[in-house]
Amino acid sequence: MVIAALVSFAILLVAWIIAPDRPRSAAAVVETSMPEAQPAAA
Amino acid sequence: MAEINTGDTAWILMSAALVMLMTPGLALFYGGLVRRKNVLSTIMHSFFILGLVSVTWVLWGYTLAFGPDTGLGIIGGLDWLALEGVTGEPSDVYATTIPHLAFMAFQMMFAIITPALITGAFAERKRFKAFVLFAVAWSTLVYAPIAHWVWSPDGWLFSLGVLDFAGGTVVHLSSGIAALVAALFIGRRTGLIQPATEPHDVPMTVLGAGLLWFGWFGFNAGSALGANGLAATAFVTTNTAAAMAAITWVTISWLHKGTPSVLGAAIGAVAGLVAITPAAGFVTPAASVLIGLGVGVVCYGAAQLRLRARIDDALDVFAVHGVGGAFGALATGVFATTAVNAAAFDGLLAGNAGQLLTQVIGVVAVGAYSAVATASILFVVNLVVPIRVPGPEEETGLDLAQHGEVAYQV
Repeated sequence: MVIAALVSFAILLVAWIIAPDRPRSAAAVVETSMPEAQPAAA
Repeated sequence: MAEINTGDTAWILMSAALVMLMTPGLALFYGGLVRRKNVLSTIMHSFFILGLVSVTWVLWGYTLAFGPDTGLGIIGGLDWLALEGVTGEPSDVYATTIPHLAFMAFQMMFAIITPALITGAFAERKRFKAFVLFAVAWSTLVYAPIAHWVWSPDGWLFSLGVLDFAGGTVVHLSSGIAALVAALFIGRRTGLIQPATEPHDVPMTVLGAGLLWFGWFGFNAGSALGANGLAATAFVTTNTAAAMAAITWVTISWLHKGTPSVLGAAIGAVAGLVAITPAAGFVTPAASVLIGLGVGVVCYGAAQLRLRARIDDALDVFAVHGVGGAFGALATGVFATTAVNAAAFDGLLAGNAGQLLTQVIGVVAVGAYSAVATASILFVVNLVVPIRVPGPEEETGLDLAQHGEVAYQV
């Protein structure tokens, strides 16, 4: 169990080294434009 | 009658306060994830439940969940209706070193946050009055019986030997399954290309996650029901699993999408907290590392699958709480050891494969009951009050349409 825990953290360490430096693709637009609510007049 | 232990009492009252703080924390966690036109309505769901269930729990919830059994291990009787007979003296059955009222208050905070968790599934489109009816019915007809099954000494799942230290099945699996059913029942939000939106305030969500993490020490370490070594074990396993799941979720999303997501860190931490909840007082710190790793992977995958299935569980309640709760319950059956808690049972790795099967029975029973009961409640509530707001109100946003207020003036 202890070894498995240590190995799992080591896997994350390696992943951080090989992880990319920038987004793989531009952020997708996931919503259509909708009118936002306006505050009521004072 | 047992004598009151002042240290235990102080810790449980403090833990109750910590768990209470989780519900406003959840409000911020969910509030940041929705669009700005729905932030108040989302916060209101959690905050209103804090009032609503506080009252119903005192009146009838506690006696249904923890009152003397009615005979079949399914529901408590009405002996403690409106807390009649629940006093400052210890109970003969529950947490015998603290006032019975302290135990009741601690359990009340669990009853409050559980229906609040579900609200993330139908965010941005549910009518407020329908939400109120649903919350009262769900808390009474789903939460109370399940709490009785698992935590009452006469409950049928307790008698079967199901282990759930602080609510992996009672709180998270039940609410996660209910969230999935609610999302399917109410349907997708209008105007979305995918069943997802960009969060309007990530710092708000991270603040909410921080408050949840903080409060979870009361949730799990408080469930030792005493100021003792078991509480310390639960405290450490809770923090470790949350931490491991947070960095695991960030790592997976980093490899998947190319950037280490702040939002991913917050959601990953919550997933870790969910998964360690049933196991916190039964496993070693090393096991909690593996539980955190596993739930980070599994819940991230579940969230991606949910998107592909185009199910609009708006804030991923099922992926985090349903899947995370089931994962944690099963992991308890794998990693539990009497070396940590002599009053419990060994799990698979300690040579007791039967415990894993028992945990499977617990997961299936709680999940199935929550699904059927939630669908029934939604059906009936929808007959009385339409659950979904009309299209124009959804477009305007629930803050203005349902509450007559807006969150931001700029």
